[in-house]
Amino acid sequence: MRVAIAEDSGLFRSSLALLLNSLGAEVTVAVPSGTELIAAIAASPPDVVILDIRMPPSFTDEGIRTAHALRGLHPDVGILVLSTYAESKYASLLLEVVNAGVGYLLKDNVTDAGALMESLSRVAAGGTVVDPAIVTRLLERKQKPAMRGILNDRELEVLRHMAEGRSNLGIARELFLSARTVETHVSSVFTKLGLTQSDTENNRVRAVLAFLRSGGPRR
Amino acid sequence: MHGTILSLPEGKGLRGSAERWRTRAWWSWAWRHGHQRLLGHEHSSWLATTIVLTVVACFCAIAEGPLWRQSTALAAVNLAFALVLVLTGLMLRREPGQSVPAVALMLTGIFRCVDFIDAWNGPWPAYAIVFGGVDRVFGAWALLRYPNPALSAVQRRFLVALAAWMIAGRALIVVTSTAPWMGGSASWWWPTLHADESLSDVLSYVVHGGEGIFGVTLIVLLAMRLVRARGVDRIVITPVIVAGIAAVIAASATAAVMTLSSIATTPNYAFLAESVADFAIPVAFLIAVVQRLLLIRNVTELTARACADGDIGALRSALRDTLHDPTLELLDPSDASRVAMNARSAGRLVSYLQMGADAPIAVVIADPVLARYRGLFDAAMRTSALALQNAQLQAKAAREELELVKVSRARIIEAELAERRRLERDLHDGVQQHLLSITARLSAAMTKTTDLEATAAFGDARDGLKAVLAELRNLAHGIHPAVLTHSGLAAALEEVADRLPLPVRISMPAGRLGAAVEATLYYVACEALANVVKHAAADGVLVTVQASRSWLEMEVADDGAGGVPAGVIGGRGLANIADRVGALDGEVTIDSPPGQGTRVMVRIPCG
Repeated sequence: MRVAIAEDSGLFRSSLALLLNSLGAEVTVAVPSGTELIAAIAASPPDVVILDIRMPPSFTDEGIRTAHALRGLHPDVGILVLSTYAESKYASLLLEVVNAGVGYLLKDNVTDAGALMESLSRVAAGGTVVDPAIVTRLLERKQKPAMRGILNDRELEVLRHMAEGRSNLGIARELFLSARTVETHVSSVFTKLGLTQSDTENNRVRAVLAFLRSGGPRR
Repeated sequence: MHGTILSLPEGKGLRGSAERWRTRAWWSWAWRHGHQRLLGHEHSSWLATTIVLTVVACFCAIAEGPLWRQSTALAAVNLAFALVLVLTGLMLRREPGQSVPAVALMLTGIFRCVDFIDAWNGPWPAYAIVFGGVDRVFGAWALLRYPNPALSAVQRRFLVALAAWMIAGRALIVVTSTAPWMGGSASWWWPTLHADESLSDVLSYVVHGGEGIFGVTLIVLLAMRLVRARGVDRIVITPVIVAGIAAVIAASATAAVMTLSSIATTPNYAFLAESVADFAIPVAFLIAVVQRLLLIRNVTELTARACADGDIGALRSALRDTLHDPTLELLDPSDASRVAMNARSAGRLVSYLQMGADAPIAVVIADPVLARYRGLFDAAMRTSALALQNAQLQAKAAREELELVKVSRARIIEAELAERRRLERDLHDGVQQHLLSITARLSAAMTKTTDLEATAAFGDARDGLKAVLAELRNLAHGIHPAVLTHSGLAAALEEVADRLPLPVRISMPAGRLGAAVEATLYYVACEALANVVKHAAADGVLVTVQASRSWLEMEVADDGAGGVPAGVIGGRGLANIADRVGALDGEVTIDSPPGQGTRVMVRIPCG
């Protein structure tokens, strides 16, 4: 897998490249800003780009802007945005501007080799990834008191995996269930929460995230 | 037949009016000369006073002449009376508009001595009878005039009638009698035209009876003045009027003694007693003069009072007290022009308070009586203008100082905010990136080994680092939430809401506010939301931010139990909040009625 990195901190950039190399990925480009990355990959786009969310010049949401620009230039390149902010707003924002093959991970979890590789391959394959820590926090908030009485434990599990961006197949693998059972749980969750089924995976994640962020079901 | 009520006993005379004018003219010359020739006002006025007193003393002593041998005490009392009245007149003369009553007083004293000129015999007893009441006319004049600028028509008619009655009536008695009938000796020169004892007796009763009526009338006129007087006027004239009435009554008592005896046997001690009683008049005038001086001195206390309080209301009441005018008004010049015009047309005294050529700072509308006390009134106006200007300057200085303090507090808050943001960035860009890269390298190292123990050791180290990272992130967030800097108040509050165990709705206009305002509102909201979680037992919270042209308002309202005492909400946190909001010139209010939830409201001025 060919990976390009735009990361402001030189120390972390080199460590991340080292980690990716040791995991068998090929780091084609490692630069400190989004604009440099766009220039560097123009000739030979990688499979996935890893973008720090906070980069020069304004150190706010350059990662998301670069993702938006990249998606216009290279529709097939997967985009993984890294952040130290466990804040769902940025994740939602990212999923707004990039419709598929996109992920939002916390840097803490990037250093988990298995999680990193899984996220990279899902994004490269056009899937969606939302950091489990963010989903956990949203769920913790909404579970009590609103969701407890509505969804059963299995459905909550399914909801969590949907929010993290997994496909039905992915969920089935994670939970050791058949795809058919997962489908049943998914439609049950959507019905119980009053959501409409979405056409794409990305839209499904967006809908679930938006639901979780909005304050949950009204009593 | 010698019963008199008002006049001194017959047989006293006086010089012509030419003497009076000569005295006045000489006194004026000495006064002006003293001013011109000598340095220093005090010195010159002392010299003039001494000269006038010496001249009057010599004149009166000579006029009384042989009386010194007959009754030294009476002569001395008369002389002293004259000198005291002259002295009082000289003091009174210094006050504006008081020269007429001052001269009248001096003439009263001088003519009292001249009354006793009959002791010289010859033609003087006849003159003394005819002009013996003139000192009373001057006395009545002084009493009625002081301290008014002019006599009323009634008073003027009264004085003219009194003078005419005194002189013409007595002249009639003299021309219809002979000296022996009057208890005198045949050696006196006597202008008898038609000697008729019974006619003379009848005339005597009529004239003296009339004088009695004039006496009663004078008492009524004086009492009316006292009743009508207001404010400063009343304070100043009360001693004078009371002494005047007492003197008229004393004269009546002497007259009563005289009606019971003949002129030859009327004891000198009766005159002596009356002269002593008459001293009440100069004493009363002196008291009045001192009162006026005291009133002016009170103006200095007015300064102290007005300066201490500083506002226009306090100055108004101080002015009312000092000037003894409860109707006095003190107005701001902005709303005063029409009022002042109306007041002036209503005959009120209108005065503008101003410093030099500056615009007036206030308008005073007062009782016109005060126009007679120009010295007092002007001093009070000058003092008030000074005090008011001083108070206004002080208030301005205080406002400016307060403004400086506000600016400085705001600057402190700004500096603190900047410092927090810098710290957060340092943690994020420095330590955090460093730890993250170590974690990544650990992960990379883990891929190089298949040794289970090594993998477990690497895993423990990495988990420890992740725990440190999580703590570091919490610390950085506590110092200053990055999302507030990057995405604004709404996003930051949404993240706070994400971590709360109850639904939070946030309603807020789009767009960014100032960094200090955002940070302040953020901390207030965090504190309020934390309190909702801790105390309110609420099902939901609504955070509303509204911006008008001049105010920015935030309200954190829950649907919980309410009834939270103000002290419980926030505690030290709330004090901190109030401080931050105060630094932006805003205010925090908490409303927590039992059963109706709790609302924390913040208002911050903007623009």
